[in-house]
Amino acid sequence: KHALSLNIVAQCSKSKARACLMTLPHAQVDTPVFMPVGTQGTLKGLVPDQLRELDCKIMLGNTYHLGHRPGPELLEKAGGLHKFMSWDRALLTDSGGFQMVSLLELAQITEEGVKFKSPHNGTEMLLTPEKSIEIQNSIGADIIMQLDDVVHSSIEGERLEEAMYRTIRWLDRCLAAHQRPTEQCLFPIVQGGLNAELRKKCAHELIKRDVGGYAIGGLSGGEAKEDFWKMVKLSTDLLPEDKPRYLMGVGFAVDLVVCVALGCDMFDCVFPTRTARFGCALVKTGQLNLKNASFAADFKPVDAECPCSCCKNYTRAYLHVLANTETAACNILTVHNVAYQLRLMRTMRQSIIEDKFPDFVQGFFDDMFPSGQFPDWAVDALASVNIHLR
Amino acid sequence: MKFSVEKVVGGGRLGTILPSGPHGSTALETPMCTLYTRGGSAPHLGVDMLKRVSNVPDIAAMSLGSLAPHHENIRDFGKGIGEFAALKSSLIFTTLHDASAAVTSGKNDRNGVAVWGKGGKFKMDPSLFVKVQEALRPDWFQALSDGDTDKHTAKKRLAKAVNNTLDFLDGILELTKNNKILKDASLIGAIEGGFDEEERKRSAKETAARPVHGFLIEGFEKGHSGVDLFSIDSFTKLLEKTVSFLPEDKPRIMETVWSPLQIVKAFNLGIDVFSSSYPYLLTERGQALVADYTIPSSSPAARLENKGSPNGALSTTSGFYVNLKDKCYFEDFSPVLTECDCYCCATFTRSYIHHLLNTSELLAYVLLMIHNFHQYFHFFNCLRRSAREGTLEDLQASLEAQMNSKPSSET
Ligand SMILES: [Zn+2]
Ligand SMILES: [Zn+2]
Repeated sequence: KHALSLNIVAQCSKSKARACLMTLPHAQVDTPVFMPVGTQGTLKGLVPDQLRELDCKIMLGNTYHLGHRPGPELLEKAGGLHKFMSWDRALLTDSGGFQMVSLLELAQITEEGVKFKSPHNGTEMLLTPEKSIEIQNSIGADIIMQLDDVVHSSIEGERLEEAMYRTIRWLDRCLAAHQRPTEQCLFPIVQGGLNAELRKKCAHELIKRDVGGYAIGGLSGGEAKEDFWKMVKLSTDLLPEDKPRYLMGVGFAVDLVVCVALGCDMFDCVFPTRTARFGCALVKTGQLNLKNASFAADFKPVDAECPCSCCKNYTRAYLHVLANTETAACNILTVHNVAYQLRLMRTMRQSIIEDKFPDFVQGFFDDMFPSGQFPDWAVDALASVNIHLR
Repeated sequence: MKFSVEKVVGGGRLGTILPSGPHGSTALETPMCTLYTRGGSAPHLGVDMLKRVSNVPDIAAMSLGSLAPHHENIRDFGKGIGEFAALKSSLIFTTLHDASAAVTSGKNDRNGVAVWGKGGKFKMDPSLFVKVQEALRPDWFQALSDGDTDKHTAKKRLAKAVNNTLDFLDGILELTKNNKILKDASLIGAIEGGFDEEERKRSAKETAARPVHGFLIEGFEKGHSGVDLFSIDSFTKLLEKTVSFLPEDKPRIMETVWSPLQIVKAFNLGIDVFSSSYPYLLTERGQALVADYTIPSSSPAARLENKGSPNGALSTTSGFYVNLKDKCYFEDFSPVLTECDCYCCATFTRSYIHHLLNTSELLAYVLLMIHNFHQYFHFFNCLRRSAREGTLEDLQASLEAQMNSKPSSET
């Protein structure tokens, strides 16, 4: 039995959007869900209590970072990442591969694994599928990811094909190495870049394996949005209904809404927390850069409808003062941005349950693009699942 | 405000400050500290996190450097800096300079005083100063003053500093006469004179002769940039003298970085109100306050030994704090301070905070700020109790023993 079970609560009668209840060892998670990224075992200045107050049920940790510091041995001694960071709800860890390839220029991929020079002491190291799973077993997250062969989304041809097939081979090695299948659910990753045939092949192979859920990877890397949505849809078309679908690295509001319509259930992105650090607050019309002088005498809250502690206590004008000088501003805005993301997901979920999701989508786009100039790719993507923006 | 002394212990006073205005029912017990803030906010802590700290002082000290440049917007806001900075229920004490930072020297003259924020210098004459205060609407406000002196300052410059400060005070008193906005705000006069006894005496007497509600003693150092910088022993005599010229019925304030031992000493010399910038500076260095205030103390040296982790925690540890950046905490799954009941100690381990410091995560500073504030505010409770119960000498002896139990440069 997998460490994950999924109940479909409601299905949009027009699009592929669905509302589910995902049961994990440490939490019952309502989907569609946005998972904030706590790279080093902490969510940018927020304590677990604040996340609980925001009704956050699941967050991410990064295996690459945690594997270096504090390292799997310490995490094991601490009783896992949950205990170490005092977070009793669900966690998901990535495989570490993506970060290695994107952060370290010198990473080299062979059939064995990802070879790289440690940025800390320069020694040569090798992340194999087995090693990735071993570290993730020590960290102890509810959901863990297979090591995949990550290539840039602009790569085509032989290398892309090699990466796709290698990802499948590595999945089998990950599954064989996994020591805690009843406590941690291992997700494979659909790869294949922007090549529809490869992606189909990959998905077909993955669904032959006995796994608890699927991730869609290799996207959100700067590719054209027309290509992006088509690859998402193609993947969700092939993946089984009764398992969750996790679209990796996606977190802009517009993308979230479109991809929920395309049938994705789980999302993660550093953007909301990273942008808070630079004084940006997310709102339904986009974002406010509070360092901007135009907010110096704006005595409204960031979002009058938001119930978070930032919006209940602070004005834009004061955050303008603080954002230019103090780290407290970063913590305050992070609370709001996480609240914004979670509330967006909850609102979508509610509209799916009430079977009013298409109305929600229309309202969302009207707010975000008051001129009525909706991005073509979003219009096309939504039309492909029977939501026609007016 | 009204200050009443209930009991004199040695040279120290156990007293109560009753503020004027809307916060009139908030009695402040002295000796006390103010809440140290930056940009009007507790360092690293939004208001929902500050709520997790107990015994938070009812009055927040806000320095003008980061706020005065925004005074026109704060004026338009119309409800004062307390509500603007989301500390509505707190009393506000506006001071000129950040208690934890060095002040750039040489920018004051008879026309005005420079304060420093992120945007650089902001120079105020009495008229602009009053405009700023009208916008901020503090409960207490430090008068404009020329405190840019230290022990190297020549006598001529000291006389100027005293004169400038008195002139500013007179200007402010004139400008705020019948001022409706500031009618409940208590003006705090600044005492200058560096290390010159004559000038100190003149400054104290002249200021005391004017209708101020309290005294802020400065001019011993040009601001403060570290926990070890401020050395009270070098001017104990002079401070004692200065205080002797001040009336009994008004509180005396010193805005600087104070360790617990320094506080006990300064309290004995007659100082009533202190800054809480010490826990902030410890936090910035990754240090946690672990001093023991129980009386009789549980053998401080032995206590610290117990606290250390097996592989030699004590090497970078002073008697008052531990340095959580030290490698020896890597595997230490005990709380920062076992007997501490703060949110940080109840929830997290030294190992986790060490990891956060090691990875430069913001949460490290959030958690250390909570613990260090908690312990520092707790210390003031202990100090008042100790003074009331007549065990102040024991407290001082215990703190001295704790400090000496470790090789440390701190005095
Ligand atoms: Zn909010
Ligand atoms: Zn504590």
